[in-house]
Amino acid sequence: MRTRRNLVFGLAALPILAACGGEAAPAAPAAKAEPSKAPAAPAAPAAAAAATKAPEPTAAAKALKVGLVTDVGKVDDKSFNESAWNGAKAGAAAIKGESKYVETRDPNDYKKNIQQFVSEKYDVIVTVGFLLGDATIEAAKANPTIKFIGVDQFQEKPVENLAGLIFEEDKAGFMVGVLSALVSKSGKVGAVLATDVVPPVWRFGEGFRAGVKFAKADADIQIVYHSDVGPEKTFDDPEWGKATALSMADKGVDVIFGAGGKTGNGVLYGVAERKDKGVLAIGVDTDQYLTVPEAKAVLLSSGMKIIDQGVSDLIKAVSDGKFKGGNVNGKVGLAPFHDLDSKVSAEIKTKLETIRKDLDAGTLKTNVKPAKG
Amino acid sequence: MTRGRFAFIIGCIGLLIGGAEVLRSPDVSASIVAASMLATMLRFATPLTLGALAGLLCERSGVANIAIEGMMLSAAFGAFIGAAVTKSLLIGVLAGMAIGVAMATLHAWLSVSLRVDQIVSGTVINIMAAGITGFLSTEVVRRQALVGAGLLPALRIPVLADLPVVGPVFQQQPIAWVALVLVPLTHLVIFHTPWGLRLRSVGELPRAAHAAGINVIRTRYTAVMIGGAIAGIGGAYFTLESVPAFEPLMTNGRGFIALAALIFGGWTPAGAWAASLLFGAANALHINAQQFGIPVPAQIVGMFPYLLTIVILAGVIGRVSPPSAVGTPYEAD
Amino acid sequence: MPARSRPTSSRPRAENRSRRWAGPCIAGARILTLPARRPLWVCRAGFIGREGVLTVTQAVRARLIGGLIPSLAIVTALLIGGVIIWASGPRLDGPWFGIWFVVEAYQALIEGAFGSRASTIDTVLRTVPYVFTGLAVMVGFRGGMFNIGAEGQLAVGALASAWVGFTVTSLPLVIQLPLVLLTGCLAGAIWGGIAGLLKARTGAHEVITTIMLNYVGGQLAAYLLNGVLRDRSPLNVIAQTPKVAETARLPDLVPGLHSGVILVIGVAVLVWFVLWKTTTGFELRMVGINPDAAAYAGVNVVRRMTWAMGASGMLAGLAGAVQVAGVNYRSTLGFNVGYGFDSIAIALLGRNTVSGVVLSSILFAALRTGATKLQFRTQISTDIISVIQALVLLMIAADQIIRWIYRIGPAQTEADPVAASTAPVADSESGR
Repeated sequence: MRTRRNLVFGLAALPILAACGGEAAPAAPAAKAEPSKAPAAPAAPAAAAAATKAPEPTAAAKALKVGLVTDVGKVDDKSFNESAWNGAKAGAAAIKGESKYVETRDPNDYKKNIQQFVSEKYDVIVTVGFLLGDATIEAAKANPTIKFIGVDQFQEKPVENLAGLIFEEDKAGFMVGVLSALVSKSGKVGAVLATDVVPPVWRFGEGFRAGVKFAKADADIQIVYHSDVGPEKTFDDPEWGKATALSMADKGVDVIFGAGGKTGNGVLYGVAERKDKGVLAIGVDTDQYLTVPEAKAVLLSSGMKIIDQGVSDLIKAVSDGKFKGGNVNGKVGLAPFHDLDSKVSAEIKTKLETIRKDLDAGTLKTNVKPAKG
Repeated sequence: MTRGRFAFIIGCIGLLIGGAEVLRSPDVSASIVAASMLATMLRFATPLTLGALAGLLCERSGVANIAIEGMMLSAAFGAFIGAAVTKSLLIGVLAGMAIGVAMATLHAWLSVSLRVDQIVSGTVINIMAAGITGFLSTEVVRRQALVGAGLLPALRIPVLADLPVVGPVFQQQPIAWVALVLVPLTHLVIFHTPWGLRLRSVGELPRAAHAAGINVIRTRYTAVMIGGAIAGIGGAYFTLESVPAFEPLMTNGRGFIALAALIFGGWTPAGAWAASLLFGAANALHINAQQFGIPVPAQIVGMFPYLLTIVILAGVIGRVSPPSAVGTPYEAD
Repeated sequence: MPARSRPTSSRPRAENRSRRWAGPCIAGARILTLPARRPLWVCRAGFIGREGVLTVTQAVRARLIGGLIPSLAIVTALLIGGVIIWASGPRLDGPWFGIWFVVEAYQALIEGAFGSRASTIDTVLRTVPYVFTGLAVMVGFRGGMFNIGAEGQLAVGALASAWVGFTVTSLPLVIQLPLVLLTGCLAGAIWGGIAGLLKARTGAHEVITTIMLNYVGGQLAAYLLNGVLRDRSPLNVIAQTPKVAETARLPDLVPGLHSGVILVIGVAVLVWFVLWKTTTGFELRMVGINPDAAAYAGVNVVRRMTWAMGASGMLAGLAGAVQVAGVNYRSTLGFNVGYGFDSIAIALLGRNTVSGVVLSSILFAALRTGATKLQFRTQISTDIISVIQALVLLMIAADQIIRWIYRIGPAQTEADPVAASTAPVADSESGR
């Protein structure tokens, strides 16, 4: 006969089991708890929530609170959400503030997720991604005391408490294009991009096109955008990115630029598989030599837009009282060549340096529109 | 699956490859385009084939399986964790299979033993797989900073792999080979072994099978679990053969395309495989066309497998019908 | 199936159990195990259901279990979810061995859903499409059709209503708004009706066709939103339609809360009325319970099946139209994702009754709305909500699990478990 348990026991069982798990190692809490936290813990159980983040700053009196809302995706996406979150963490740490994030699941939640930080009286709210632009502007107008940082959000009309951290991706793409054209042996270069409807990604692609043409007018350029099959999918399809990169490599393309979240990462993985054929990859956003170690052997460089530093600088500016609304240009450029430094001759390096200066000075223009028309 | 339909599908694939040849830019040789189309098609077809075979075994035993997506997704995660923790790709594949079997066992337990509606059971597995893998990929992978163990290396058949057009066929990664081997193997098992006969009888007329002394419940469990193992291999494709990382929802609906392939292929291994190749070829054509600077609306290509499936279900180009007991739980008296 | 008497085997077991049940025991469980001592034969039509004639006590009991099992499923899922949260929290380092972390998490979840006026409005706003799609799936189930296609039907409904909303600009609100909503209904009805028609004409299983139609609908939306329906204004760069005209928008009841809430209540009542108070509804339910018997009784099964899928699609399309007219004022690519499976869970959790669907929708909406605060407080992944939802669905679908954990007697419909999980059950004879 089976053992009979009653309802009450059934309900109580799980918490009891949980508690037993704790009692099994009674010494552990005392041993692990930091001296500064131990006395406070029993008195204020609410501090439990704090245990997940960095140790509480003791001088929390004037510490700024930094909140971050991701675009659809997670803060560990090895791409722009992660980069922005690293920036927010670093910025908050530098000013001895605290930082928290909320990940967006559903594009309808942008407003609500921003509101979460507003209602908790956060001092700085970072929203990541072009698509959060409208929601961020609305929130900024409604809450003039809170400083907003919109990553990838171009400000048409400046709002005093909202800084749009934007990047000239076309310039980064241009540099990547020049580098690709000069390094390519076959004269065929390619770019695989997540989408053409999100302007920053599109600017990377079109900048690339312009750069290749500038450096080598007769080069064969293949550019493939993963069509817009929904915001939750276009950036998250590494398998497609890989298949596309391999398909290009099979046709003799020997430098491939991959851009756009995980789809772009897939491109790097694909190229890594054609290592023996001498195909090279160029990453995007961050120095992907560090974020996609699997592709180290083929990663020539990355077309960087340095989001983390841009975000953390803006957070520091808030703390210093130097924060200003409007558009703030973040840094773009090429990542170091790392292991493949020998592939890039001194001549090419000099040329890239010249182009970089010309682009900065404005004497050289990429002629890329802000967005696809 | 009639021979005629099989030939029809292969003909369609030929048309798509021909299409790529027409679109190609003049500086790329025809044989390179054909080889590239073949390679891309096979790459896309691999998870579809495995998913379709998994569904096939399940449905042939009379258990509807809309949970291929969930099984593959959780197996992809399991394979990644297995490989990342042990640094062994083989253990990764086995872990993927184990997770696939575990999910399949859940499906079998719910739908065969508890006689829950099979579609509901599949829905449970799909939602759960998405939730759990999403949650764990954040809480475990991020916290432990797990890094993948790389990808399975391609296996070349020496001389054949160097042939011009068909070279890519003989130079594939292990899971792709497994898929190619499993197609005839499944065909043999289902149509030419006693167990296969039992399986089909359980899927068509479970009561008669029972009367003939076949253990319906056990046969269904076995079929669903073997299907789970195959789905597990299909899941491992994503994290051990395609990209060396797990991303939430990375199967991206391919489990449902596999389901479409299964139906389109008339619940036969060869048909499912041909349909997988056809869907793969459609994707390959899309990628190739874009490379040659010809924009084909991707949405039309994306719609293609599903539209074809609806059309074939509607009986426009030859009716297909599922095993007759699919969806009905079996009750022992 | 024809009316049949309750399996006699389960009664003695129930009696035995009630004697053994000494000791602490909650009142509800006690009532449940009471054997029927004095059979009172009742003639109310509703009681003569699939289980044959029920006694009052049996009916009460069935009703209580009917309500209790979903509640227990939710509680159990939350408990298991709690263990998962506990495992990903500070555990031993935290106070109360980390259990407080779980309490914090759930407190945040509730606060996030109902803690303030704004969050409550958010929850209500999210409830509205859930009720529509939940009712959609429920109508399908009642008619014996398993509609997995709410997601696609919602997408085409939203597209069509947005299209009418921004192209027609010269009508007054009293004409245009209904027009917009009806267009959404119509588009959804067509999308669902295709599956119904295919089932009726060719026997193509609606599960497969609705899954396929989901993807076709999604891709069609992507195509149109990037093409002819796309907002061409220079400021717009994403795949969405222009905003609909002012006259195509649902007016706000209170700031931030559109009047679709009234509409949803009206539609819920209407669905109840049609299903349980009209001949059409009666025939539909008959087809759902047993198509062969229904055909024998002279019901046009083919027509009812198509009707059920069409009505189901219509409700899902209306969900899309209300989102367009009340919340987004436009149709954006990808906003429909997730409704398909959520709505199945809602219909099942609501035991395919109107009141059940409404309550489940509130629960699901609250879970999703509260998730933001949960993540804000605990910084764990909101995927925990999906895990909890899957667990709820699992335990609703396989209520044997709940019955086993809490030692509730076997289901009265044990002999017909498919119907028990998807089709009408004894406790829902009135359907309210």
